Amino acid sequence: MFAVLHIADFPLHAVLRLEPDAASKPAALFATSSKKSVVLSLNTLARAAGVEPGMTAPQAIARCPALIIRTPHPPAEADARAALLAAGFSLSPTVEDTAPGICTADVSALPSDQRESAASRAIAELTHLGLPATAGIAPTPLLALYAARHLSLSSFFPAVSDARAHDRNRARDRSLSSSNTTPNLLLVTDPASFLAPLPLSAADPSPELADVFNSWGLRTLGDLTALPRDEIVRRFGAEGLAFYQRASGGSPRPLHTLAPAQTFVAAMELEHEIETLDPLLFLLRRFLDRLTLELRASQHVAAEIHLTLRLEDETQHTRGFRLPEPTADVDILFRTLHTHLESLHTDASICAVELRLTPARPLVRQQGLFDTGLRDPHGFAETLARVSALVGADRIGTPRLPDTHRPDSAQLVPPRPVIPPAADPPIHPPFGLPLRRFRPPRPARLEFTDGRPSYLWTEYISGEISFRGPAFPSSGEWWQRDRAWSRTEWDIALSTGGLFRLLHTNNAYFLEGEYD
Amino acid sequence: MAAATEKLATLRHLLAERFPTVHRTTGRLLPTGIAAIDEATGGLTLSAITEIVCATPSCGGHLLFGQLLAVARRERQRVALIDGTDSFDPASYPDDLLTHLVWIRCRDTATALQATDLLARDANFSLLLLDLRDSPAADLRRIPGPQWYRLQRAVEPTDLALVVETPRPSVPSAQVRFTLATSHAPSAFEHERAALIENLPATLQRQRLQTATG
Repeated sequence: MFAVLHIADFPLHAVLRLEPDAASKPAALFATSSKKSVVLSLNTLARAAGVEPGMTAPQAIARCPALIIRTPHPPAEADARAALLAAGFSLSPTVEDTAPGICTADVSALPSDQRESAASRAIAELTHLGLPATAGIAPTPLLALYAARHLSLSSFFPAVSDARAHDRNRARDRSLSSSNTTPNLLLVTDPASFLAPLPLSAADPSPELADVFNSWGLRTLGDLTALPRDEIVRRFGAEGLAFYQRASGGSPRPLHTLAPAQTFVAAMELEHEIETLDPLLFLLRRFLDRLTLELRASQHVAAEIHLTLRLEDETQHTRGFRLPEPTADVDILFRTLHTHLESLHTDASICAVELRLTPARPLVRQQGLFDTGLRDPHGFAETLARVSALVGADRIGTPRLPDTHRPDSAQLVPPRPVIPPAADPPIHPPFGLPLRRFRPPRPARLEFTDGRPSYLWTEYISGEISFRGPAFPSSGEWWQRDRAWSRTEWDIALSTGGLFRLLHTNNAYFLEGEYD
Repeated sequence: MAAATEKLATLRHLLAERFPTVHRTTGRLLPTGIAAIDEATGGLTLSAITEIVCATPSCGGHLLFGQLLAVARRERQRVALIDGTDSFDPASYPDDLLTHLVWIRCRDTATALQATDLLARDANFSLLLLDLRDSPAADLRRIPGPQWYRLQRAVEPTDLALVVETPRPSVPSAQVRFTLATSHAPSAFEHERAALIENLPATLQRQRLQTATG
């Protein structure tokens, strides 16, 4: 059995899905942007407003002033094609890229009672991605395609108002009532009764053949297949045989299968530059919807996100995000990008976007009984990202003391995901009070009496020095001229209260901090 | 006058009988190892804001922070220090005591409060230390009262303890307030830090929640 996912007016929907709110407005696709270009395809709203294929732009606008006019956009079609194939892989690992907007999957291995529900889910997924799809399930790929097309009114039954259209609609309703399950899904259980009432045009005859059969009074595929096949072949040769076979629903054929995606990249050159956040977020959300669908279809999750924005001034902004826990949850991935982009400012507008996900196998690990890892890894990453946006990425982290005696040289490193057990207490316990640093150290003036500092003035505090500890000189990195340092410290107490660290360096005195 | 007082007492008695007060209890305390705090309240109150008013220089504000870091480290709980004036000195503490710490180096009081608000809503932290000790008085006065109550609401439904150090009483929504009003003498340079912690003179100024007993 085969399933076909079909998107009618594929080039138009491929373009509309990347624009917020465009799908809810009448829209038409024109071949080019010139005035003489004609309507190639249109959506339901435009059709309802009276726009028809073949109209020129002025004619279409006259019928529907609110009409959105678009031209084919190959990058958008490529992205939509990838989304369609990803939905196909959710049905079966044997998938064929049959034609633009048409994806065929071999669902023989799927239990018969699960085929319709799987196809319905695929249709729902594509609808969520902005691609209105229909599906047909039948014994041959061609029958499944006919079934899917049968449900796409726009491509199968053009809007005409005559008796033939009425007859076609009645024929359609009869075939639908025999094997229809849901509005967007058709399961063909009896090929002969499904095909019989369909018009000849369903099997794509050449114009010459169509004229001949029309002159003979043949109207439906059933009328044609009632004739002897050999006679059709004798009169019309290979072309007649091919048409007869198509009218009979074709035969099972091997699919030209594709391998599931191994790289998960979505990229697009924008027709119109993006200057604000909302359109960029909409586009990135569309990308993520498709990429996460591909990830799930290939049993992968995303371990990293790489975002590249190419700007109009030929520079680019690149940012990588390492996820605390690999995931294929589109909301978590989107929040990660959203948090970063909220605080991003570029000097020029964005003319191209690329989003790349690094795949990984889903983690299967059992938490240790005494593990104290993160309760919510993604929430933690998001909190850190938000706080980083407030204070700066270099001002948040876990302090780590490097192997140096240089004062105030602590570095900030990313917090650990799991807190290890506490180490044994140090052999030499700490003495005295910890220091509360003044950053930068506060300039100080000293008054000396008998060669000893007796009074201290700073902008922060002043007072008589009632206690002075011994001097503690230190220096380091003297072998590097630009990094050499040398200083002398004293622990002092002021008569007004408070214990401080007095510093002498670079021929000046400073108050380095308060012991607290 | 005596009759009015007697009537007032009778009225209070009647109200107490008709509407018995239900004490809000926390029942969740984190022993700090600081005798003055543990004896007064049983420990650090979870799901609440505790204000530590550091009224004098060298009164032991960062000594208290260090002890809370040690307690959380033993429990392997994650701590965030929102440093309002970037005054924390990692070199004053053993390396291992910093393993579970996330240090946020803020440049001003407003940023510190915004960061605290974000961190208070993260389920991964057990203790937040907000250091506004050196914040300018004008900045502290400019903090609107609702902002403190918003923090209180964020902390209440969690197991988080939020400790705020200030130079003077500034947190209207603090359920518990201690004051450190004694400057350490120069002899503190010669004492082990553990001894200084044990003898830290903290005075309870406010306790709005009655802790569970028994």
